Formats: sequence, structure tokens, C-alpha cells
Amino acid sequence: MATLRLDALSKTYPNGFTALHGVDLEIADGELIVVVGPSGCGKSTLLRMLAGLESISDGELAIDGRRVNDLEPAERDIAMVFQNYALYPHMSVADNMGYALKNRGVPKAERRRKVEETARLIGLEDLLDRRPKQLSGGQRQRVAMGRAIVREPKVFLFDEPLSNLDAKLRVQMRIEIRRLQKRLGVTSVYVTHDQVEAMTLADRLVVMNGGRIEQVGTPMHLYERPATRFVAGFIGSPAMNFLDARRSGDVLTLPCGTQLASPWPGEAGETRDTPVCLGIRPEHLAIVPEGQNGGGTLAVRVELVEPLGADTLVHARLDGQDDLVVARIDGIQPVAEGDSLILRPDTDRLHIFDPDSGQRLDDLEPACHTPTSPA
Amino acid sequence: MATFQHHRITPWLLLSPQLAIVAMFFFWPAAQAMLQAFYVEDPFGLGRTFVAFENFARVLASAEYYRALGITVAFSAGVALGAMALALLLAVLADRVIKGATAYRTLLVWPYAVAPAVAGVLWGFMLDPELGLISAWLGALGIDWNHQLNGGQAMALVVMASIWKQMSYNFVFFLAGLQAIPRSLLEAAAIDGAGPWRRFWTITFPLLSPTSFFLLVMNSVYAFFETFGTIDATTAGGPGGATRTLVYKVFEDGFIGYDLGSSAAQSVLLMGLVGLLTLLQFRYLERKVQY
Amino acid sequence: MRYRRRGLDIVSHGLLILALIAFCLPVWLAITAATHDQASLYTGTAPLWFGEQGLDNFRAVLTEPVSRLGTDASRLLFNSTVMALGIACGKIVIAILAAYAIVFFRFPLRRLCFWLIFITLMLPVEVRIMPTYKVAADLGLLNSYVGLILPLIASATATFLFRQFYLTVPPELLEAARVDGAGPWRFLKDILLPLSTTNIAALFVIMFLYGWNQYLWPLLITTEADHMTIVVSLKRLLSSADNLVPWQTVMATALLAMLPPVAVIVLMQRYFVKGLVDAEK
Repeated sequence: MATLRLDALSKTYPNGFTALHGVDLEIADGELIVVVGPSGCGKSTLLRMLAGLESISDGELAIDGRRVNDLEPAERDIAMVFQNYALYPHMSVADNMGYALKNRGVPKAERRRKVEETARLIGLEDLLDRRPKQLSGGQRQRVAMGRAIVREPKVFLFDEPLSNLDAKLRVQMRIEIRRLQKRLGVTSVYVTHDQVEAMTLADRLVVMNGGRIEQVGTPMHLYERPATRFVAGFIGSPAMNFLDARRSGDVLTLPCGTQLASPWPGEAGETRDTPVCLGIRPEHLAIVPEGQNGGGTLAVRVELVEPLGADTLVHARLDGQDDLVVARIDGIQPVAEGDSLILRPDTDRLHIFDPDSGQRLDDLEPACHTPTSPA
Repeated sequence: MATFQHHRITPWLLLSPQLAIVAMFFFWPAAQAMLQAFYVEDPFGLGRTFVAFENFARVLASAEYYRALGITVAFSAGVALGAMALALLLAVLADRVIKGATAYRTLLVWPYAVAPAVAGVLWGFMLDPELGLISAWLGALGIDWNHQLNGGQAMALVVMASIWKQMSYNFVFFLAGLQAIPRSLLEAAAIDGAGPWRRFWTITFPLLSPTSFFLLVMNSVYAFFETFGTIDATTAGGPGGATRTLVYKVFEDGFIGYDLGSSAAQSVLLMGLVGLLTLLQFRYLERKVQY
Repeated sequence: MRYRRRGLDIVSHGLLILALIAFCLPVWLAITAATHDQASLYTGTAPLWFGEQGLDNFRAVLTEPVSRLGTDASRLLFNSTVMALGIACGKIVIAILAAYAIVFFRFPLRRLCFWLIFITLMLPVEVRIMPTYKVAADLGLLNSYVGLILPLIASATATFLFRQFYLTVPPELLEAARVDGAGPWRFLKDILLPLSTTNIAALFVIMFLYGWNQYLWPLLITTEADHMTIVVSLKRLLSSADNLVPWQTVMATALLAMLPPVAVIVLMQRYFVKGLVDAEK
């Protein structure tokens, strides 16, 4: 069991490319941290630096308060699950799982006992003599997990471990990883680009972009109060709608003329009319029944309808906006392409961002729906 | 590429045997050859005189050298083209029959294992003026075969023996190349109405061109160097120098004539030639990567 | 397949079988000649069928000194075997280590080492034969197994092939091994070598043939019969005769010289083909 402390961790390659610009993060004992971001955001580099597979250019990495910057991977007492599993093709499942123990000089009998114990835990008892080639994708994934578990490391590192599985198996393994991690209570860092995986697994989520951390928090906090426009767009599916608007005091005015109450009135006494970026999640737009049109609604024309069953996604044109507005509505409502609709945004759940810096302008702490911090 | 980074001495330990041998038996001799090429050694090996480019000038001015060059080119072209054409024909046939392609490969691959010198001896026996079976057949056709006297026939002998040995190497590559061509391409061509002959020249042959080019280089290198054994065991460069290739001349001038300077100069010239061939091969490799 | 023509199939088989016969003819004639005595051999053209001698000629060359060579073919075969095995094993061991260093380590001067080794691919021993001979002579390696083997190990073909293979090993395997606590030597022993067995077998075949079939170098470096190889001995047999070439002896010796490499290639054909075709890449 261990804590991790990342202090201004940086990575600059010999060719001058900087992959990480000073990452700070504290990870509590037993916590499952998911690092998420688009490809090239530096998340894999970060994980490989934790593992000791990439050298640390600057900053400090400490496990349980001990600086490990210059330790070999094996000396850091970590275990890693690789994206393509990286099983040794010429070794049996048992040998794959026991290799690290063998290298540590654990006696054969004890090695065998530990491997069998772990195999029982993850349902691999009957496959111990097989070679990786003889296993299905899901089974290989399990072996890779087993190889990490059997060593009883201080930290688990997961590098997109489910990306090579089919959708159904992915959901299954996701649940299993979560269950095992909680049961074993091992501090874990999990890298993925799949935001559903990220939301469902994480105790806390780290969103990265361009070699920097955009925001750290519980999945619900990031969903409710994204700190930047980037996080707002990355978390949640379908992605948040961003509308150009102007704010004057506590009134937001859209180019189509609609006026909404701003969640942020601006600095005290400031009355200037300023451009802002207004964020509305698709699920926070509701269809207003005909004849009930009041203020604070958006009149749109439907361009595309995507029925998902329970919900229907409506892509619609709003005057004065470049992008289509997406609304997630109840699946049974009859909407057709070409229809004109009136949508009402949930004014308690508007987000406003600075159009230039992308920073959130209103309060970072949610007024309601506050999720409790992780147990 | 993942690598070990914090090991300073291990890589040098790993490399040291190879580097030591390469230094001792490659760079040192190669440097010696370079140096030697600029000196004339006195006949008793007691001293040597720096003569700058005189050795090269002497070599490049000698008619014998150009004759050997011509012979080398003719010999190499004969061997390379002969061995490749024959191998391609047989590989296409073996690829067609599908059933038995690997059996034919097994039956045809073994001459590759025969030493060039042994190949020369076997063919020398078949064409022996007194006893040879083929020379007897040729005699019946009115051809008086004696490669010990007739330069053209001596050349034909070493070319045939060399082709016989090299063909299997080419066969293996051509067969692999042919088997790598997707069947669907040929089927599509058949549907488009192309007969077997047209299919071969418009589809198979162009797709084999990387293999062919690689083999051309390999066959040239083979004909240049490895056939030394074939030549020495059958004609020893004769009769009258009719089969004296550049490599054979280096050997003759160096070990029999003891003209070390000239031999070294020829070595350096050969190195240049081979360097050129290798460059060609690397260019080909680069091209191949882009496929 | 509908686009196939039956007539062409028969013609193909016919031509292939014809080629097979033509390719076997030199060896067949060697076998028949080796079963005759000199007298019956010199009664006309080379016989197409076996003679009276059976295996006597083979027995003779293996046990008695052959012509004026002063040694028997058993000794020659032994010398060839030592040389071929020495070259094959030596090259493979050296190449495995060198390629490992070049692919899996980063160290100063790595590129220089790479080029120093791979430039040797360009120049076969025949090109620098004189000075190499001189170096070997200066080191006192004439008429010795070390002299036969070491200089021929200098080329980097095997190193190049191992490098090509190592580059195809997924980098995650090395990373997993590092996380599992394997250092460089352990990774080599536990992971890389077990993965390279096919390549090692393929290279063994190629290098064994290369070593066995060497001609020019053993011709120069061995002046005495006790280190001569069987391939080189053939020329001596041909030229040592007073007047008539003892073809039955020459052919028996030639067949013995062919047998080991041909056996290796036929038995290990799968690896040989893989090794060759991989070498192209």
C-alpha cells in the first residue's frame, strides 16, 4: 500500500520536444486514479515515467515519501499492465505470472503457491499450463492482470489495458478491475482515452491536455464543474454544446436574441458587455411543449435525428452559431428532420468560460448536486 | 524502441568480441591493402618504396586487367542471367502446380549446399574431354569439346557449373515471391480475360521485380567472389587466361606472381566496385521499405 | 480454380521433372563413377550405371592416404567439420551479443559501432585476401584451426540478420521484463534467446554451409595436409595425378565433401528457407 507524490514532473526528449510540463499530483493510499486525455496529451509518458520506463527530466517522483526518480522499474515495486499485454510468448501462463518472483529469488514452492492463489482469484486455475498463443484476448488480459497482482506491488499501473478487447468484454473487465482493485486496495494509476472507462473506474480523474493537467477531481465533480472548456468538452457524451454569447451583468445574450440568467454576474460593479463561451450539456436541454414558449428558450430547426432507444439525439441549427446544437431528449418524443423546436436550457446547469483562455468563469464549487469526496 | 539505459559497460562487453575480430581481420587488413597499394615491395620482401599511384597506373594501363574485367563482366552476366532465368522458369512452373511445390523445392534446393569447387569438379567430369558423358554427346553432334584447350568452352564450363549451383538459391526466392502474390489478383486478371502468358507478363513479373533486383545483386556478388573455387578447381583461370576473372587475377598476381603492390591496387579497385554494388543494394532496400 | 488449364499442369510437371533429372545428372555420374575402378572407368565414356567396386572406393579414401595428399579423407572431413562448426557457432554467438548491444542499448558511439560492423558486409574475404593472409601469418595462425575459423567470422552477415530480428521484438516485452526485474543478461537468457531459436537454427544452416564450402581462404592458410579441408583437397587430387586423373577417387571424395552440407540443407530445409527469405528483408 502506498502513496504517490508527483512534484513538478517534466519530460523533455533529447530532440527538444517537451511531453510533460511540470505535473503535480498527490495520490492517496488505495486510490484509483484514472488519467484521461486525447492521444498525445502526455498521459502514457506520465505513466511510463511512474513505471521507470522513461527517465524523469525534471521534478520529483516519490513513492511512500521516498524519492524514486533514479530507481530501475523493478526497484520501484510497481506492476504494470500493458496495452497489448506483453506476455512472454514462450512461457506458460504460470511462468509468465511467476517471472518477477523468480527474478526476486522467491523459492519455487512459494512461487507456485502464490501463482495458484492469484490464478484462483481471477479465474485462471485451468489455464496455468497454456501458452499465451492458446488464449483468447480476454484470457490474455486476465493473465496480464494476474502477473501484476501476484507480485503484491505497492502500485498498479494500467496502460489502456482494455483497448484491445471487444465492447462487451471491455465492460465486463472494467467491472472486474474495479472489483479487484477495491478488494486488494492497491494504489493504482490507470491511463485511458475512453471517457466512459474513465468515469466509471476512477476515484479521481485527471484530465490531461498538451502535457499539462487540466483538472483533477471526482468524475461527478468534473462533470458538474469542469474547470476549463477543454475538460467540459472531453467529459460527457455526447459532448457539451458551446455557444457564443455576450454577458452583461447577470444577463447572457445569445446572437439569436435569447436572454438567459448568467450563473456568474462578473466582478462586483462591472457592467461591461463581454463575450463569453456558454456551455450547455445535451441532456440539459428540454423540448418546450408547443404554446408554452416563454423567455429563455432557443428556437431551432432539426437537421439530424439519432434515435438511441432510451434517448434520442437531436442535432439542430440555432441562428448565429457555427456548430449544430445537440439535445438529448426522451426517446419516445416524435421528432423529425426539418421540424422546428423550442428548447429550454436548464439554467441551474449552465457553464460559462472565458472565450480566449477557456477558463471557467463561475464558481468551481458546485452549488448543488455536490458529490461527496472519495471514501 | 525500448532500451536499457543505465548500463555503461554491458554494451561494450557484448560488442567486444565482434569488434575485436572485425578490427583484427577486417580493418587492419583492409588498411594494409590500402597502404600496400601505394608501395612497391622488393622481391625479397626486405623493403618497400612509396610509389604513390604508380601501382594503380600500372594496373589500369595493362591490357591484361581490362581483359580480366571483360571476362568478369561476361562471366557474371552469364551466371546471373542464366541462373535467374532458369530459376524463374522453374519457380513459375512449381508455383502453378500448387500440389508438390514444396516437394520440388526440396528436390531442387540441395545444389545450393554444394561447394563451388565441388560443383566445378562434378561438371569438369561430365565434360571431361576423355571420359565426359556430355562431351561425348557433343562429340556425336560434331562439337569437339576440350575446355583445357578451348577458351570459349572453358568459360562455358565454369558458367554452367556456377549456374547449376546458384539456381537453387534463386529458385527459393522466386518461389517465395510468387507464393506471396495474392491469388485474387491473378483471378481478377483471369476474369478480365487475360490468358496465362499475359497474366505472367502483366502481373506476376512486375510484382516480382523487387525480388529480381535483389537476386541480381546477390548473383553478381556470387559470380564475382564465390565462384573462385569453381574456376580454380576446373580451369585455374586458363586456358591462356580465358577464365581469369578479377578476383582470380588478384590471387594470381599476389600469391603466384608475388607482385604485392599490383595485387593490392587491384584489391582496392575491387573494393570500390563492390562498394558500388552494395550501394545499389542499399538503395534497393530503401525503396523496398517504402512499399 | 476455373482459370487453370489441365494441359498446362501436365506440361509444368513434365518440365520440372526434366529439370530435376538434369540437376541430378552430375551427382548421378559422380556416384556411378565412384563405384568403378580406374581400369573400367577408362574404357570409354563415363558409365551411367554402377561398377563392381561398391563402396570400396569410399572405404579406401576414408582409411588410406589419398593419392599424394598424405592424409585420408576422414581427416579432411574432420577438418571441414571443425571449420564449419567453428564458423557457424562462432558467428552466431558473436552476432547474438553484438546485435543485442546495438538494438537494446543506448550508449555513446553506438552509431559508429553500428557502421564499423556493418561496413564489413560490403567486402568479402576474397577482396582483402592478401593482407588478411599476412595478418594471419604474422599471428602464427597458418595451419591451425583458429586460423581457418577466426578471419571468416569477421563478416557481419549474422549480426545483421539478428539485428533485423531483434527489431521485430515488441518493445513492450523488454519493458515488461524490466518491470519484472530482469536485467540485460536475464532478458537475453530468459526472453530473447528462447524467442530466437528458429532464427538461430536458420543462421546455423546458412553459416555451416558458408563455412564448409569455403575455398580460397583454407587453400591459402593450410599448406600442410593435416589441416586441409576436404573441399580444398579436390584440386590437389585432380592435379597430383601423374597422367590419368583417378576420377573414381576424386568422385568418391567429392561425394563425401557434398554429403554433410546437403544433409544439413535437406534436413533443416524449413529453417534454411526462412533464414534466406528473412535475410532479404
